[in-house]
Amino acid sequence: MEQAPPDPERRLQPAPLEPLGHPDAGVESVVGEEAEGARDEGPGDGTMTENNFWLKKIEISVSEAEKRTGRNAMNMQETYTAYLIETRSVEHIDGQSVLTDSLWRRYSEFELLRNYLLVYYPHIVVPPLPEKRAEFVWHKLSADNMDPDFVERRRIGLENFLLRVASHPILCRDKIFYLFLTQEGNWKETVNETGFQLKADSRLKALNATFRVKNPDKRFTELKHYSDELQSVISHLLRVRARVADRLYGVYKVHGNYGRVFSEWSAIEKEMGDGLQSAGHHMDVYASSIDDILEDEEHYADQLKEYLFYAEALRAVCRKHELMQYDLEMAAQDLASKKQQCEELATGTVRTFSLKGMTTKLFGQETPEQREARIKVLEEQINEGEQQLKSKNQEGREFVKNAWADIERFKEQKNHDLKEALISYAVMQISMCKKGIQVWTNAKECFSKM
Amino acid sequence: MSGGPPKALPSTGPHSLRDMPHPLAGSSSEEAVGGDSTPSPDLLTARSFGDKDLILPNGGTPAGPASPASSSSLLNRLQLDDDIDGETRDLFVTVDDPKKHVCTMETYITYRITTKSTRVEFDLPEYSVRRRYQDFDWLRNKLEESQPTHLIPPLPEKFVVKGVVDRFSEEFVETRRKALDKFLKRITDHPVLSFNEHFNVFLTAKDLNAHKKQGMALLTRVGESVKHVTGGYKLRSRPLEFAAIGEYLDTFALKLGTIDRIAQRIIKEEIEYLVELREYGPVYSTWSALEGELAEPLEGVSACIGNCSTALEELTEDMTEDFLPVLREYILYSDSMKSVLKKRDQVQAEYEAKLEAVALRKEERPKVPADVEKCQDRMECFNADLKADMERWQNSKRQDFRQLLMGMADKNIQYYEKCLMAWESIIPLLQEKQEAK
Repeated sequence: MEQAPPDPERRLQPAPLEPLGHPDAGVESVVGEEAEGARDEGPGDGTMTENNFWLKKIEISVSEAEKRTGRNAMNMQETYTAYLIETRSVEHIDGQSVLTDSLWRRYSEFELLRNYLLVYYPHIVVPPLPEKRAEFVWHKLSADNMDPDFVERRRIGLENFLLRVASHPILCRDKIFYLFLTQEGNWKETVNETGFQLKADSRLKALNATFRVKNPDKRFTELKHYSDELQSVISHLLRVRARVADRLYGVYKVHGNYGRVFSEWSAIEKEMGDGLQSAGHHMDVYASSIDDILEDEEHYADQLKEYLFYAEALRAVCRKHELMQYDLEMAAQDLASKKQQCEELATGTVRTFSLKGMTTKLFGQETPEQREARIKVLEEQINEGEQQLKSKNQEGREFVKNAWADIERFKEQKNHDLKEALISYAVMQISMCKKGIQVWTNAKECFSKM
Repeated sequence: MSGGPPKALPSTGPHSLRDMPHPLAGSSSEEAVGGDSTPSPDLLTARSFGDKDLILPNGGTPAGPASPASSSSLLNRLQLDDDIDGETRDLFVTVDDPKKHVCTMETYITYRITTKSTRVEFDLPEYSVRRRYQDFDWLRNKLEESQPTHLIPPLPEKFVVKGVVDRFSEEFVETRRKALDKFLKRITDHPVLSFNEHFNVFLTAKDLNAHKKQGMALLTRVGESVKHVTGGYKLRSRPLEFAAIGEYLDTFALKLGTIDRIAQRIIKEEIEYLVELREYGPVYSTWSALEGELAEPLEGVSACIGNCSTALEELTEDMTEDFLPVLREYILYSDSMKSVLKKRDQVQAEYEAKLEAVALRKEERPKVPADVEKCQDRMECFNADLKADMERWQNSKRQDFRQLLMGMADKNIQYYEKCLMAWESIIPLLQEKQEAK
């Protein structure tokens, strides 16, 4: 995000692919710059497939925020903010747009959408939402969720989220996303009906996998390490930046006191009076200039925050890989042990411990017929296991390939966005310096006239 | 007023200091006023050059009425000369070359005082001596004693809190040197003070301590006479113009005090800002180590913030060393001025009391006794000197503050320019397109 609000021109670039979460999932995905094309200027590709809901180029904006009161699930009164989402379809090349959909959503619905996407697209680095509560605030900034500045920044953040999803080659084609933008009522029920909550991996399972997995893809291990470090360094940066803002505010504001005292002093002076008085005015200007400067800097902080949260999304993909890999390793281990059991039964040697073997020893040998039956069962299981292992391997490989493709896409996006953010930060600093030079030069001139 | 008719001052020409009587000299003769060139017995002791006894640069006879009040017209003449920058200056004093002396009992700093002069009061055209702070302090006290009707410039503060400020640090010594230099230059610029005998001794004597011991002898008649005007007399009301000066000084000192507090607060806030910046910059470096394509841009930002931090540190140092001390000096100046004002009040009070006492004694006819006249002279001289000094003070105050405040603005401009340069120089670095690895 260069400056708020971001360019509302977001033409969708439908790419010829299927979302992986759907039953009729395809296998290939298109990667690279052209998939990212929705962020750049460029004519829309007219390719359509049956799952492309966007027949025309669209523009999305979160244009308003409104305070509402209602009743929550416990039938208690609550106050919340609702956001107006407007979708426009672009009729002609010259950008004439027609409002096609307009509805109100609250933050919790955005969360629901994102959680759904996380479950159905585990191989995708899913764009993050703006923060739920205000963090990394410096003293003047309010930590109150109802504060108008916070609401405004959140509005921009939500719009940014929708634009990111809409410009993602895979996510944009999701039906639930489409309905989020077009179907106000009943949407929550529709999402819940997909049963995505049940499909979600439990955190405990994931944690377990992280510790026990033996052979994860090295790249994912490195990526996980990177996202941990990224999270740590950006948090630190945001914390210190907030303190820097606080101090800078103090420096500027104290200069305002010069304004008052110069004015009082000028009252007892004859020739010096005018110069002092007008210099004092410039000190007031200087002191009040800091408010706008720091407001602009909040946008920079928001850009950093987005990537702080993106780090979490990256980690989620790594976790999924570890989970799948662990699952695979467990299945392979299980298959191996069943094969061994089978072998032992067939040859009569007992190398591995089994309860059946133990009880057989204690309570007498089983009959050859019993043993045959058991071998048969095992052989069936082994067959099934081998099939499952084969498909798990296949899934694993698919996952790695597709996830890595999206990660590469993400890396490009990250480098581009953060560079833009740094440039805009430098521009802000330059502007602040120029203002400072201007004010002090004016003051100097007033002093020279004393 | 003196009984004699106003007479023109004799052409003075090169003259020993010791021969000139001071108009305020406590002589019993009514003709004490005027250029009486025969020294009366009790005037053999050297005295400071009074206003009337000034050697004019062109050696000519000053025109105009030779009354105590004419001293201010003389002053005016001289003030015109002051304005011609350097051309008619005949006295140059500089303070430099601080050196540390380590002795068994103490460690202290001396400064070199270089004097160049064509004045006859100086035997040699050039002098170079070494003085320490307590010598300056001695000089100032002597000036206050011997020239009580004049405004004596302030010295930098005597005491420094040990442990908070390092008395021997380069910055502290340099700040003090500048203040001491300013102190001597102010005296040099003063048409009366610069001819003071103590000042001369300070600038020229090889062994100042020897002179300090015989200090009593150099006290002037003026000093004596004003010194004897001690309390006990209550002034009914200050004349309007002096009341105005008093009020002005009160408000002035108040406002300066406020400005001093604000300036200190700003420096404090800037230092705290600096502390945060010093942590902020390196975080970008840490981040840079994690990245590939972003490594250079992030490192660039880190370096940039480092440069801004350095610039800020320089700003706070400059303000501490150059701005605050001058402010404090002026507060001290206005304090000492207020005491001179009070002394003046005392002199007037004595005069009025004596006058009143005379009026009550019905015996005397309109003839006014000598000692009352003496008081009146004293008072009028004091008033004239003070007014002249105030005007001079107002002018140099205006120059000094103009320079001080412009300096403050300049330092801030330089700070922002340094930061601007740093940020502008990394824009191209940030915009650089990295070639595919």
